[in-house]
Amino acid sequence: MTNKEVLDNASLQRALTRITYEIIERNKGGQDLILVGIKTRGEFLAQRIASRLEQLEGVKIPVMAIDITNFRDDVLNQEDNLGLNEEEKNNIADKNIVLIDDVLFTGRTIRAALDALIHIGRPNSISLAVLVDRGHRELPIRADFVGKNIPTAQNEKIKVLVQEIDGHDAVEIVH
Amino acid sequence: MMQRHLILEDGTIFPGLGFGAPATTFGEIIFHTAMTGYQEIITDPIYDGQMIVFATPVVGASGIHAEAYESVKPTISGMIVHDLAEVSVNRQRRMNLDRFLKQHNIPGLYQVDTRQLIRHLRETGPQKASIVDFADEHAIDQLVATVLTNKQVQSTATPKPYANPGRGRHIVVIDFGLKHGILRMLGDYDANVSVLPYTTSVAEVLTLDPDGIILSTGPGDPRTLPDSVLTLIRVLQSKVPMLGIGLGHELFALANDAELMPLPSEHHGMNHPIQEIITRQIFYAMQGQGYAVDASSINRKKLFVTYRDLVDGAVQGLRHREFPAFSVQFFPDAAPGPLEATTVFADFFETVEDYVEHYNQ
Amino acid sequence: MSNITINNKIKKILFIGAGANDFGREAEHDAAIYQVMPELRGHGIEVFVVDENPYALSLESLAATTFWEPLTIENLKKIVKENNIDTVAPLFGGEASLRLWAEVVQSWEHGDGSVPNTLGLSIEMLLKVNNIPALTAYMAKNGLPVINNYVLKAQDEANELLRELQLPLMIRALHPNQTNTRHIVERLDDFEEAVNLAKLQSVTQEVIISKAINGLKEVSIEVLRDFRGNKMQIGASEDMDPIGIHTADSLSVSPILTIQDQLISKMRDYAFRVADILQLQGVMHVQFAVDDDTNKIYIIKVSPYIDQMATRMSLATGYPTMLVTINLALGVALEDIVLPHNFGKNTAIMEPMMDHVVVKLPVFPFGELAQAGVHVNRQLNSVQKSIGTTLGFGRTFIEALEKAIRSAHFNNASFSPTNMAYINDDELIQQLIHPQDNRVLLLIEAIKRGYEIDELAELTAIDEFYFYQLKHLHTLEEEIEADIDSIKSLRRGKKYGLSDGLLARFWHTDFNIIRTLAKENHIDVTYKAVEPSAGEFPENARQYYATYESENESVQINADSVLVIGSGAFRMGDAASGGYATTITMSELRRLQYPTIIMNNNPSDATLLPHLADKQYLEPLEISDVMRVVELEKPQAIVIPGNRRKLIKALRDLGQQVIILPKEKHTPSGPNENQSEFALNLFYDGQNIYPINLTQHMAGEVRIIPQIANLPHEISQKEIDSPGVYQIIWYQNTVTWIDTIDAADIVHDSWLRPMPFGQIAYMTKVMDVQWIRLTIRAALHELTDQDVTTLETINQQPIVQPLSMVAADVNYRLHLQPSEVIDGTRFEIGVGVNYYE
Repeated sequence: MTNKEVLDNASLQRALTRITYEIIERNKGGQDLILVGIKTRGEFLAQRIASRLEQLEGVKIPVMAIDITNFRDDVLNQEDNLGLNEEEKNNIADKNIVLIDDVLFTGRTIRAALDALIHIGRPNSISLAVLVDRGHRELPIRADFVGKNIPTAQNEKIKVLVQEIDGHDAVEIVH
Repeated sequence: MMQRHLILEDGTIFPGLGFGAPATTFGEIIFHTAMTGYQEIITDPIYDGQMIVFATPVVGASGIHAEAYESVKPTISGMIVHDLAEVSVNRQRRMNLDRFLKQHNIPGLYQVDTRQLIRHLRETGPQKASIVDFADEHAIDQLVATVLTNKQVQSTATPKPYANPGRGRHIVVIDFGLKHGILRMLGDYDANVSVLPYTTSVAEVLTLDPDGIILSTGPGDPRTLPDSVLTLIRVLQSKVPMLGIGLGHELFALANDAELMPLPSEHHGMNHPIQEIITRQIFYAMQGQGYAVDASSINRKKLFVTYRDLVDGAVQGLRHREFPAFSVQFFPDAAPGPLEATTVFADFFETVEDYVEHYNQ
Repeated sequence: MSNITINNKIKKILFIGAGANDFGREAEHDAAIYQVMPELRGHGIEVFVVDENPYALSLESLAATTFWEPLTIENLKKIVKENNIDTVAPLFGGEASLRLWAEVVQSWEHGDGSVPNTLGLSIEMLLKVNNIPALTAYMAKNGLPVINNYVLKAQDEANELLRELQLPLMIRALHPNQTNTRHIVERLDDFEEAVNLAKLQSVTQEVIISKAINGLKEVSIEVLRDFRGNKMQIGASEDMDPIGIHTADSLSVSPILTIQDQLISKMRDYAFRVADILQLQGVMHVQFAVDDDTNKIYIIKVSPYIDQMATRMSLATGYPTMLVTINLALGVALEDIVLPHNFGKNTAIMEPMMDHVVVKLPVFPFGELAQAGVHVNRQLNSVQKSIGTTLGFGRTFIEALEKAIRSAHFNNASFSPTNMAYINDDELIQQLIHPQDNRVLLLIEAIKRGYEIDELAELTAIDEFYFYQLKHLHTLEEEIEADIDSIKSLRRGKKYGLSDGLLARFWHTDFNIIRTLAKENHIDVTYKAVEPSAGEFPENARQYYATYESENESVQINADSVLVIGSGAFRMGDAASGGYATTITMSELRRLQYPTIIMNNNPSDATLLPHLADKQYLEPLEISDVMRVVELEKPQAIVIPGNRRKLIKALRDLGQQVIILPKEKHTPSGPNENQSEFALNLFYDGQNIYPINLTQHMAGEVRIIPQIANLPHEISQKEIDSPGVYQIIWYQNTVTWIDTIDAADIVHDSWLRPMPFGQIAYMTKVMDVQWIRLTIRAALHELTDQDVTTLETINQQPIVQPLSMVAADVNYRLHLQPSEVIDGTRFEIGVGVNYYE
C-alpha cells in the first residue's frame, strides 16, 4: 500500500478559504446560515469554515455535526441516531444549511444526510461543500462547493488527514 | 565621476557623485527599503517618472540580468544610492548598472548620505526633486515651478492589444501599465493571454470570451482615469472571475464605491507583515504605495477586506460579496520579492477553474 | 513580555547550556540563555539552567535555579526528576545540547516517569535533526533540493562509491562522538585517511559520503516560524569564500550583495519549507550552496537552534531574535509578541532591513601559537580553524572590511600588508588556490601585480564584485599615499574606513597628527544607528557604528555615564573569559544605576546583549576609535581591560577617569607538564589587601588548597595600582595535589599578577562571591559594609565544595594539525567542571 500526497497543508488551507469565500458569495452575507458537518472529518472541516467566517465577518455561524453511520433508511425513528440534541433539531427549520463532508464519492452518504435533515427540520435550503470530489457518483448529487476535484480509480482510496485527528492537514491517495 | 546634487522642492540639497546619464531630470522622490531586486525595481513601470532612493547600502553588485527586467525600457527619472558597484554578468557586453542607466538616459547619484535623506523624506513625505550639476537658487526655483505629469498610465499602458499565447485558460489583462512579473506568472499557468488597452469596450472584452480578467498594476493615480474604466470593471466583475493588482486593486475599489486615502507615510519595500484575515496567516510581499483604500468607505454590502498590512493597518486586499472578483494592493508576482505572495495567482486560477466548471454543468 | 496566555502547562523549564567552549562554540548560547531566562519569570514559570562552563553567565543569573555540573545524561535525568521539570529548552544551547537532550530522551526508561516536553521541536523532529541521513531523506521526500548522502561502514563500499561519484567528495561521521567535522577530499591519496578519520569520529563507525560542491557560493538564511505556521526571514549573509572553506573561517557579508533577488527569494522559500516540515517553533539557520551561473541551489545544512549566525544577525540588524524566539518556542504567535518598551511597536513582525554593510571576519589562533613556536597548518579548508569572530560595520563593503580587519587583527603581525611583498608568483598562485587566513591581503597583492579580475575570479571562485572592491581599495590607497597631507585625500580615506594609523603609515607620521588634521578640517565622524527598519520608522535605537557621512545620529547620553571597553574577539588562551568579565562589569554598573555604554565588536558573547547597556558602539577598539566615542559621550569613567596600556595612558593624559579591570598584557600560560603552579590569591580594594585562598594548577586542572591563606609579608602597594583580584605565583616541580603550603615557598621566587579572568569566573562560582562585581564596586568607591565584612573573613573557609576547573578536551590535531602537541593548559579554548574526592 502506498500513500501519495495530493493536497499539502497549504493547498488544503487555501481550498477551505476559497470554499468559505464562495459560501459568502452565494449566501449574500451568511444570514440564517448553519454549517452541518458529517462526522468525523466533515465536522472538523465545518469548524474550520466557521472560524474563517468568524474572522471575516465577526459573527459566529452555528456548526452541527451529524453521524450517519447508524442511519438506515429501513429503520423508523432514525433521527435519534444522528447525534443531534433537541435544540439543534429545532434550529434547522427555515435555515440555509451548508452540508460539509471530506470526500464526495458515490453520493450515498450525502443522500442519507439529506433525508435525515429534511425529515427533522424542514430547512429553507441545503447546499453541499466537499473538500475532495473523487467522482464515481451513483446518485444524481452534485457539490455546490468543491475544494479539489481528484479523479480516481475505483480501487483507490482518498484519505483526508486533519490536524485534530491526524496531527497535520493533507489529502492522500492510497493505492 | 562628477560632483552633482540632488535638490528637493523644500530647498534641501544633497551632494553626491553622478553616475548613469549626465542628464538633468525632475520627478517625485520616494524611498525604497528592499534590500534586493534593484533591477526589477528600476524597470518596474509603477515607478514611471519617479526618483528612487535605495536604503540598501550597496547597489549594482549582482549585475544586470536578462531575466530580471520588469519592462524592457526603464522610465524612472533618477536613482539615488549610497555605494555603487560595477559588476557585469552579461555575456555579450560589459553591462553594469552605470552603463545601463546611461543607455536609458537616466541619471544616478551615489555617495549620498541616503540614510539622512530617507529620514528626511520620512518626515516630509514625497516631494518634487531633481538631479542637477549646480545646486543654486535658480535650480531650486526651476524645480518648484516644474509641474510633474500625472499621466503615467497613459504613457506606460499599451495603446494596442497584443497576445501572449499559451495553451491553458484564456486570461484578458487590462493594461494600466504592466510589469513582466504578471506575464511570467500567467506563463507559469500556461495561460493564453490577451493584453488589452484600458480603453477597450465591454463588448470587445466579452467577444474574446475570457476565462478570467486581470487589472494590471499601473503606475500613477487611478483618479486620473476616465469613468469608462470603472464602468468596464463593474460590468466585467459580474460576468468573469477578476483579479485586480496595485492600481487595478484601487480601480476595483473605486468601481465598487470605496474611496482612497493617503497613507500616513508612503511604503515601498517588502518587509511589512500582511495578514490574510480569514486565516490570520502572515506573509510578506513587495509593496509600493502612497495611497490605500479607506477601510471606512467600504460598502460592506459590496466588498469586504481580505488582507491588511499589520504595520500601518492599510487595506491590502478586497473581495466582492457577490461575484468571484478580488484584488490585492501588494504585488503577488514576486518580481522582486517573497514567493509566498504568489499564492494569489493560485487562488485566481482555482477560481477560474471553478467558474469554467460551473459553466460546463 | 506581556500577559499573553502561553502554553499554561509549562510550570518548570530547564535550559541546557552548551558546555565548554570549543571550535565553533563561543559564548553565543550562554548569552542567549542569559538573555531569555528573566523573560520567563513574569509568566510564573520556574526556570532552571544547567551548564558545566565556569564562564557561563546564566549560572550567575538570579532568574534561575542553577546547576553547575558536568553535562551528562545521568546529571540531566537527575535534575529533571528531582525538580519535576516538565519542559526542556535545548535549542538555546545549540547543537551540543540538542544532541545531548536527544540522547537523554532515547535512553528514557519506563521507571523514569513521563518524558518532559521539548520546546521548539517535537521529539520526532529532534531525533531527525540529529541524524543527517534521515533529515536529508526527509527533505528530499518533501521535494527540497539536497545532496544525496551515502552511509557506509567498510572501506571497499567506500571505494565503490568513489568510482561512482568521482572526486571531490565530502566525508563526515554518522553519529559523531564530539565535534562534527566535514572533510572534502580532492585527491585520491587523501581518500582512505579521511574515511578512517570519519569512522573514528563516529560512535557507530559509520561514515557519510556525498558529492562535494566546492567552489559554489555559500549563503546563510535565518528564519523564524510560529506554531500557526507563520514564517519570516530575519537575516541573510553570503560568504566571500567559496564552499570548501568552512563557513566559520570565511569572510561573510550581510546583506547579500552579489546574488540576485530571484535566487535569494527561492532560498527563502526553501528555508520556509524546511521550517514547515520540521514544524519548528523558533529560529532556524539554513545554509545553501548556490551556483549563480546555472541558478542551482542546494540545501547543505539545517540548524533549527541558536548558533553564531543567529547572534550575528541579531546584532547586524538590531532585530531582537532571542526574545522573539523564546516567545515562539513557548507557543506565542508572531503577531501577539509584545517586546519590552524600548523596541518599536512592530519590530517583532517586520522583517529587518539593513542600510549598512556588516563584514564578519574570523579570528585565527595562528599568531599566539607562532609566538610560542608552534607551527600549524594554516591552509583553510572544510575543517574549522578559527576560534573567534569580529564584526565590522560600515556604509560600504570596503569600510566594513577595513573595520573588521582592524577589529580582528590588531596586534597581529601576520596581517601586515608588507608581508605579501616578498611572496613569489608561484607561491602566490598556490595560495590563491589554497587560501590561508590572510587571503584578503593576498588578493590585494595579486591585483597589485596586475592579474586580471576574470582570471582571479576563476582561480579563487570568489565573485568578481570583491575583486572590483579590492581593486578600488588598492587604487585609493595608492592615490592617498602619493598625495601626502592632502585634505581631500584624508577625507576620501576616512570615508572608506581607513584608520588613522594606516593613513599615518602612508604619510610617514603619527596617528595623532592625522587625528588633529582631520579635526582641524572638520572631517568628523558621524554615528549611524543600527535599527531594523532601515530608516523607515523612528526607532529607539541603542546601537551605533561610526562612518563618515553628513548626518550624525548619536548624541551624548548622560554626563554620568560609564563607558566600558570590551575585549573584542574570543582568542586562544583568553577563551571566553574576557566576555565574561566585561558582561559582569556592565551588569554591575547597571545595578548601581550608572548609565552604561559599551564598545565592542564580538557578536558571539553576551557583552552586546541589548539589555545590558543604554548604548552600544559596534566598533573596532583602537585608540582613535575609543577617543572619538569618549569625545562625544564625555563619560565620567571608562572601564578598560588592564592589558590595554597605551589606551589607558592616552585616556589618562586627557584627564579621563580610568577604571582598570586588572589583566595581564599577555594571558599567563599555565605550568608545563612536570610542574604545578601555585597561587596565593588576594583582593585589593584600593586601600587594603585581603587574602582569599591558595590554589594549585596542574595538568589543566585548578583546585583550591584546603588551608587558610594568610599574607606572608607586606606586599608593596606599588605593585598593585588598581582594585581587583591578584595572585602571588610560584612554581614547583610536583605533579600531585597537595594539602598544605609552606609559607617559605610563597616568599621564594614568587611574582605577582592579576588573576586571569577564567580563574575569577571559577572562584566566583565555587565560592559564591562575585569578584568582578566587588572589583567594580571598589573602583567606584561603592563597597558596602557587608562587602568589607565578607572580604575580611573570606580566607576563613577555604573550601566550599570539592569542585575543580578543568581544561576541556579540545581536538587540536583535527583542527590545526600542529607541529607538536598543543598543551591545552597553556592554550586554553574551553573549560569545564569536575567533582573530585
